[in-house]
Amino acid sequence: MDDKLGLPYWAIGTALALGSTLLIGDPYIVSVVNLISIAALTAVSLRFVMLIGELNFATAAFVGIGAYTAGAAVTILDWPFLVAILLAGVVAAAVSALFGFVTLKTKGPYFLLISFAFTEAVRIVYSKSMFLGGNSGMVGIFPPLALDPWMPTFIMAVSAALIFALYAAERSDFGKILIAIRDNENVARTVGLNILLIKVACFALASFAAGIAGSLHAFANSVISPGDFSYLLAAFALAYVKVGGEDSILGPIIGAVLLVSLGSYALGLGGQEHIFYGAAIVLVVLLMPHGLVGLVRRGRDKLAQRRA
Amino acid sequence: MTGERQALLQARGLTRRFGGLVAVSNLDFDIHPGEILGLIGPNGAGKSTTFNLISGFYKPTSGELTIFGEPCTGKSSMAISRMGLVRTFQHGSFMPTMSVADNILLGTIHGLRDRAARRDRVVETAQMLGLGGHLSDIAGTLPHGLQRLVSIGIAFAARPKLLCLDEPLTGLNQTEVTGTLTMLERIRDEFGASILLVEHNMKAVMKVCDRIVVLHHGQFLAEGTPGEIHSNRKVIDAYLGHRHEK
Repeated sequence: MDDKLGLPYWAIGTALALGSTLLIGDPYIVSVVNLISIAALTAVSLRFVMLIGELNFATAAFVGIGAYTAGAAVTILDWPFLVAILLAGVVAAAVSALFGFVTLKTKGPYFLLISFAFTEAVRIVYSKSMFLGGNSGMVGIFPPLALDPWMPTFIMAVSAALIFALYAAERSDFGKILIAIRDNENVARTVGLNILLIKVACFALASFAAGIAGSLHAFANSVISPGDFSYLLAAFALAYVKVGGEDSILGPIIGAVLLVSLGSYALGLGGQEHIFYGAAIVLVVLLMPHGLVGLVRRGRDKLAQRRA
Repeated sequence: MTGERQALLQARGLTRRFGGLVAVSNLDFDIHPGEILGLIGPNGAGKSTTFNLISGFYKPTSGELTIFGEPCTGKSSMAISRMGLVRTFQHGSFMPTMSVADNILLGTIHGLRDRAARRDRVVETAQMLGLGGHLSDIAGTLPHGLQRLVSIGIAFAARPKLLCLDEPLTGLNQTEVTGTLTMLERIRDEFGASILLVEHNMKAVMKVCDRIVVLHHGQFLAEGTPGEIHSNRKVIDAYLGHRHEK
């Protein structure tokens, strides 16, 4: 029942992250930092559904729904920037609630397959929808001119705020119910908890964050296309979670920082950044089943044992 | 046997078929306020199916179930537990990766809105079960006997009117059995809860139960006080025979 949120650590970490966006001048590195912020938020969203024991490949679909919602809101409807971002989260959460209500009665590989199929189906819908730009996607998704220089800081701030919100949710009694569902759903059912409703709430919260991540992606790149939101996006997010370690919310953040940086470095060498993702997953599964965070924790525990 | 109006739970003609197999057939029994009722029978007698039927995990093929005066036939397990009937499972009825405190906390969440009240309930429940010194331990790392107590703790933390325990004494040593039986009596006497106990440990059942219902081949065989059951010829023939004849 340790309910401490570690606020000072979060404050320091967020301040450092925001500071880095202000200090970095190189446009390429700035774009990589944007990618890291969005990737970390997406991976944290994926991990949030993993708390109930489900691997949600539809994370990619909800990032896409958020991106297209924000894109359509500013380019077609001419709605304000902040409204577009909020709407992206709300639409992704609403669609996920409906999707989750139908599909979260299934579990494990069945849910994984359904979420995978949903992601690919939604991607095909974009490519067939001419008002969303079809295969070419949407262009001209710009933030307000005055905000443009501050976009990396804005993206980092929004990502950090949402990651913290999901962390707070995980540490609340609600979060404990989610882990209980993963551990032993039947026991959670015996004490009067509405399991399906709680799963849907978890799913919708995670998808709200994924939708916002999608809108940030749209505004960071100004261009979106169906190919950006295939199942690979969720596979990459899973790689961030596994490499960093899924036991802690720090895991997906560290995984995103490491793999996006390595991937971007590989792009500079002529592409094939996917090799890093593949190799990282293989190495982590074989050598570090609890990811980098788990490795650090094990090392710390061993040090403490030696001192004792 | 007290009148039907006072019963916390009434099963009438409860039947459950699985294809060609009739697991529970035309079963009638009551659970009364403030009693510990033992439900016994040989393996395959239908005890677990009965447990699943009254807790809403199975829907009866036919028959009626009334819980706390309300018709509950076919109600969901969530609805039934919210009414105050909470059960445990025979195996692993706890969350192995969570602390003992968080395990017990789960039982409090539906009934208590206030976080401080939930935490008070957790401490009270843990102390009552002798788990006060293990609140921050991860449940999956505890010895088997303590894990059994955690299972009861989750269910009891909901402060049920009817606590249904599925073989809570399995794998416990004699000291742990004695401690658990004393605790069940305290739950009945101090908290006014009734308890339905499915258990193979006959010595314990005879010691702690106020009344016993015996099942055999999915059917009602006998009902009575431990003394009556112990000397019931049908029960001896079906179930206690070998041991009694020693």
